[in-house]
Amino acid sequence: MATMLGQSDPANSPLGLMLLDEITPVVMVLRTPLVEEACLKNGLNLVELLTPFSTFNNIDVPVRTASDQPYRLQKFKLRLFYASDIRQPNLEVAKEQLKEVITHAGEKDFSDLCSDPPQIEDVLSTPESEILPSWFQFFNKELVRSLSFSDHEAFDHPVACLLVVSTKDERPLNRFVDLFNTNQLPFLLNDGVMDPKILKHYLLVHDNQDGSSEKAEKILTEMRSTFGSNDCQLLCINSSQDGLVEHEDNPWAPYKTDASLSQPLGCFLNIDDFNEIKDLMQDFSSKHIIPHMEQKIRVLNQQVSVTRKGFRNQIKNLWWRKGKEDTPDASNGPMYTFSSIESQIRVLGDYAFMLRDYELALSNYRLLSTDYKLDKAWKRCAGVQEMMGLTYFLLDQSRKEAEYCMENAFNTYLKIGSSGQQNATRCGLWWIEMLKTRDQYKEAASVYFRISGEEPLHSAVMLEQASYCYLFSKPPMLHKYGFHLVLSGDHYKKCDQIKHAIRTYRRALSVYKGTMWSYIKDHVHFHIGKWYAFLGMFDVAVPHMLEVLTCGHQSKTTQDLFLREFLQIVQNTGKKFEVLKLQLPAINIPSVKVIFEDNRTYASPAAASVRESMWQSLEEDMIPSLPTIRTNWLESLPKNISKKHKQSNICVTGEAIKVDVEFKNPLQITISISSVSLICELSASSEEMDCDANSSTSELQNDEESGKLTISREQTSNSSFTLSEADFSLGGGERIMVQLTVTPRIEGILKVVGVRWNLSDSVVGFHNFESNLVKKKIAKGRRKAKHSPSDNLKFLVIKSLPKLEGSIHHLPEKVYAGDLRRLVLELRNQSEYPVKNMKMKISSPRFLNVGSWEILNTEFPACLEKKTDPEQRVQANHNKESHTVFLFPEDTLIQGGTPFLWPLWLRAAVPGNIPLYITIYYEMGDISNIMRHRTLRMYHNLQVLSSLDLSFQISPCPSRLKEFLVRMDAVNKTSSEIFQIHQLSSVGHQWKISLLQPVETMLPSELMPGQALSRFFKLENVRKLTTPEDKVSLLAPQEGSDVKLGSEASNEILFDICSSPLADFHICERIHQEGSHQEHPNSVDFILISQPSNDSINTGLPNPPPHLFSHHVCHCRIESTSPIWWLMEGPRTIHHNFSASFCEVKLKMTLYNSSDLSASIFIHTLDSIPSTSQLSEVMAGSPGNQAGWYDTSLLNDIKVTSDVLGMKVGKPPSLDSVSQFIWSGSCSTKVEVEPMSTAVVPLQICVFSPGTYDLSNYALHWNLLSSKDEGSHGKCPGSPYYLTVLQSA
Amino acid sequence: MASTACFIIVSRNDIPIYEAEVGSAVKKEDAAQQHQFILHAALDVVQDLAWTTSAMFLKAIDRFNDLVVSVYVTAGHILLLICFFQPKGAFNLRCYVLESSLISIPLSLSSCSRVSNCTAPNLGSTDRN
Repeated sequence: MATMLGQSDPANSPLGLMLLDEITPVVMVLRTPLVEEACLKNGLNLVELLTPFSTFNNIDVPVRTASDQPYRLQKFKLRLFYASDIRQPNLEVAKEQLKEVITHAGEKDFSDLCSDPPQIEDVLSTPESEILPSWFQFFNKELVRSLSFSDHEAFDHPVACLLVVSTKDERPLNRFVDLFNTNQLPFLLNDGVMDPKILKHYLLVHDNQDGSSEKAEKILTEMRSTFGSNDCQLLCINSSQDGLVEHEDNPWAPYKTDASLSQPLGCFLNIDDFNEIKDLMQDFSSKHIIPHMEQKIRVLNQQVSVTRKGFRNQIKNLWWRKGKEDTPDASNGPMYTFSSIESQIRVLGDYAFMLRDYELALSNYRLLSTDYKLDKAWKRCAGVQEMMGLTYFLLDQSRKEAEYCMENAFNTYLKIGSSGQQNATRCGLWWIEMLKTRDQYKEAASVYFRISGEEPLHSAVMLEQASYCYLFSKPPMLHKYGFHLVLSGDHYKKCDQIKHAIRTYRRALSVYKGTMWSYIKDHVHFHIGKWYAFLGMFDVAVPHMLEVLTCGHQSKTTQDLFLREFLQIVQNTGKKFEVLKLQLPAINIPSVKVIFEDNRTYASPAAASVRESMWQSLEEDMIPSLPTIRTNWLESLPKNISKKHKQSNICVTGEAIKVDVEFKNPLQITISISSVSLICELSASSEEMDCDANSSTSELQNDEESGKLTISREQTSNSSFTLSEADFSLGGGERIMVQLTVTPRIEGILKVVGVRWNLSDSVVGFHNFESNLVKKKIAKGRRKAKHSPSDNLKFLVIKSLPKLEGSIHHLPEKVYAGDLRRLVLELRNQSEYPVKNMKMKISSPRFLNVGSWEILNTEFPACLEKKTDPEQRVQANHNKESHTVFLFPEDTLIQGGTPFLWPLWLRAAVPGNIPLYITIYYEMGDISNIMRHRTLRMYHNLQVLSSLDLSFQISPCPSRLKEFLVRMDAVNKTSSEIFQIHQLSSVGHQWKISLLQPVETMLPSELMPGQALSRFFKLENVRKLTTPEDKVSLLAPQEGSDVKLGSEASNEILFDICSSPLADFHICERIHQEGSHQEHPNSVDFILISQPSNDSINTGLPNPPPHLFSHHVCHCRIESTSPIWWLMEGPRTIHHNFSASFCEVKLKMTLYNSSDLSASIFIHTLDSIPSTSQLSEVMAGSPGNQAGWYDTSLLNDIKVTSDVLGMKVGKPPSLDSVSQFIWSGSCSTKVEVEPMSTAVVPLQICVFSPGTYDLSNYALHWNLLSSKDEGSHGKCPGSPYYLTVLQSA
Repeated sequence: MASTACFIIVSRNDIPIYEAEVGSAVKKEDAAQQHQFILHAALDVVQDLAWTTSAMFLKAIDRFNDLVVSVYVTAGHILLLICFFQPKGAFNLRCYVLESSLISIPLSLSSCSRVSNCTAPNLGSTDRN
């Protein structure tokens, strides 16, 4: 609305009003000291006394200037100045004055700077007038005024002179004359810049306190006769005798700024005086000034018309000026006296302007501007253009023209150098107002920027004004607003106006709040903080400094600077600050882990970090099912514990809750952190807890909301719990995981609230876990997700309980595969109360097994020796249960810190990283507690390196029925360990192993790193038919046979493979090595026991305890598929006289059924088909014939050839040859063989000629007779049997 | 004379997503923040200009003392702002900006940069002169 009005009437715009105020006729006042004295009784000097009455809002005077058409003037104003003040103000003084004004304004505005900076939305919605500091206008006005009374402009030249003499003066008439004739007159009059013949007005002042005005009247009459009747007036003041007149709406108050008033203004002026002054000034302006100006305008206009108007004059002027071109050119152009036509035009223009005949003014300015341009009088030219611009604006005709004139004037002022700087500023200010009136704020801002100049204070104010222009522009240019505020702040800082600097920066902050432009944010916050600190307002400085602490993007030096500055400020505050969510160091909230022990206790931190499901599956069948136990102990809970606490985690008095927190240093510099501890709340009883927790949490929330700093409060609850503290220093970019603990001392509800730390011993940072999701490592499986995260940090503290601590002695970290050693499990209970009913379960019985109590006190490895007395043997635990849960003896009670030891066996079965999980369940001796049982969880990781690579090959012995050859290949795969092979054992009573050769002849038994070794053994089947009961325990090796292998082993002992632990481990091995193989009766297990050589290269394991190596190879199978073994017996060489008869040879076939079923065997001889049986030397290369000839490779001493070989069918070497022998007797024989028994079948052949014969052309068809199903059957081709028949002599 | 330039890619909502100081001049400690200030302030001008012209490369839209700001406005209204010393930069600015505009395309497509609330300014307000 206001702008609309302004646009419709430029005179009502701010600029219009400003011009109305500034460009008005000046009245020079000359007075005697006695006049001044009379006025000062009212606290006012003469000019001050008259000023309020020289502004007329409704003077309503008819004016007729150059044209014949009169118009009425409504608003009018006179400016009164003492003659001594009519001079160009001293620039330095003016500057000092401005500085004072600004400093003063800074102090005044500063009071509200401690509050938060406003939101940008609020800034945008508040009206301009509230945002703009009020002193801007004053500042601008002062700037304009500093240019008053310049010689190149006429509007500041006095229009009239007011001579004032008091009635108390001696010879008043002479005084009037003296006043004007002194040399005190301003330079404008003396230097000839303006016409000294000035309108004079004579005023006689009479102080009514000095007596009646009769004398005054007399003087007035004299004056009138001397100076003319119209120009003389009398003013009586101070009519009030008591000086107690109170003026409502004191008219002087707005003009008298300094508030130090000893007396009320105008206290001696009663209403008559008041009206008299008013009438005087009205009369003076309307009857003297205005008519005088009208008169002068008309005269001057006449002159100008004569000399300059018209075509002829223009040509003449042009020519004349060109001729003047040669004259020396001063910087201001030629000097113009008041009588020169240029000065007169200027006076004409300015008078017309002041009387608001803008048309007339404009035409004269135009005329003048070309003249000055031609004269190169740039300053005057600019002055005229400036006035043209203003006139255009007030005429509201051509906006473009107005702006063009202003810009032109502005540039011209700048062009003339430093002397024009001030004028340029004034011109700029008017130009800006002009632009503002037209809502061209953006352009206005750029003009502000252009007039900002060099001088810091000046430019600071101008830049700040520019920033507001950006703010007010539509749409608001907030980026520019912020930028210019910052620029302005920098300039304020340069001239030590810190308070203003803070003010501008704080305003800029509302723009930059929440921005991602990190450097900007850092710069603004850092400087505000620094400046506040400079002013000693450290408390306010700290929050700003906090903002820049996490400046990871800054350079190292900057980070260092920021941190140093921050710490210094905090130190200066002289107290410790608590800062919520201090970002230094940063806390990785998702990494926060809470480790606590309720039913579940952990022997080591590693155990605690194992997955809960792992433990659960391990403990599944050991502890009573969870829901049951839960209801059980809940029932025994006191009734008053409310339901929600059921959800809480449980922890035990005196047992630490550990919280792992990861700290990260976001900076590149090292920061030192000390006294890191948890913040906890512990309330003793449940009722108390409710109110306590509520109050404390609400308090915390408040803190969070306000984000304010609070002075460090005392840790009050120190007695009820203890906290651990950690100190560390974090290098640039480092992360550190810190474990913090809280140990409750009394029962109640414990809440872990957050973490606190000291940064560089001066700032206390704390961080609440509440607001963030804390990943709880030990989330119970049964726990539902519905719990709020805060529940995870809430603990129900129950009274002290026994707790087992466990450790395993001598557990190595790194072992070779096969390593067998004895370990000792130590359990302790520090509590007075015993624990009982202990059970233990081990995750991998293949690696770790429970020993028996007795072996604890025996020597190792001597305790593994084979005892002569079978009664003394420690029987292997064949109970299936033993692999799952081991029950400690029932009478075991652990209490009072006495260690309880129990042996364990470790055997490193296979190479790799082996996790060992051990869980021990125990129950409380004291059943009054709500927790009745606990578990101790132990976890170890075992690194097993590969050692011996062992393989066995078993092949049937060609010459014996139930004997086999065993070949053992061993390779030492270690890099340093030397194995001394001690003993090889076969497991099971049906096998017996023995040496092929005596020990003495054997190679050394030491196996160096990388060395391979092969040994041959004889294996004998001693299997008997077993009863069905025995079959059940087939897994258990009751018996075994051993072979000593050590070279000097004659005096060494054998280890018992049939007793614990070797037997137990063997069972595990059997199960693990079973793989896809079916349990086969004809498989054999071997155990190779070796000892570490004494001169083994040290592998870095210092002085290892005694240990053995046992390598188990299970399910070694004889390379045969048939359960039927047979052997052909008979003579090998026969001498026979073929001339007498053919030779009859009797043979015997022994059949053995190795299966558990009776077998039906059918021997089928194949000589019915004619085939060659004569063996020649050619045979070696022959593939054999159709009738079952086979290669007789000498290497191949396998009796029953493989099926693959059996399928090989060759052609007879010579088809024409006739069979040299025939099977005599029955060509097929069928026998039934009982399980595990032998049968003998007689066979016979007839040989017709001497030679060597292979009697392998037969086949065995066998069929196992099973009661359940068909059973298996198969066919075995005959094995070679060579018979040599010689012709006897 | 050593030239210096600062290059910033600004996504919607005035979030800087890439920042680089290029040029051979010795780095001053406060250069980074000065450049940020200038480029940040230039955003106002970009927002005005970008909708009034079809050109994508807007040369010398703003200046502060000797530093001139040019901008390449991508189709996704991701701004590539560059401010450099002296109007005649030491390198071919247009080429550099075009090259880097290719880099910004994946950025604009990335789900990380919010491309919602696309607001064109009130077109009625542009005819005020």
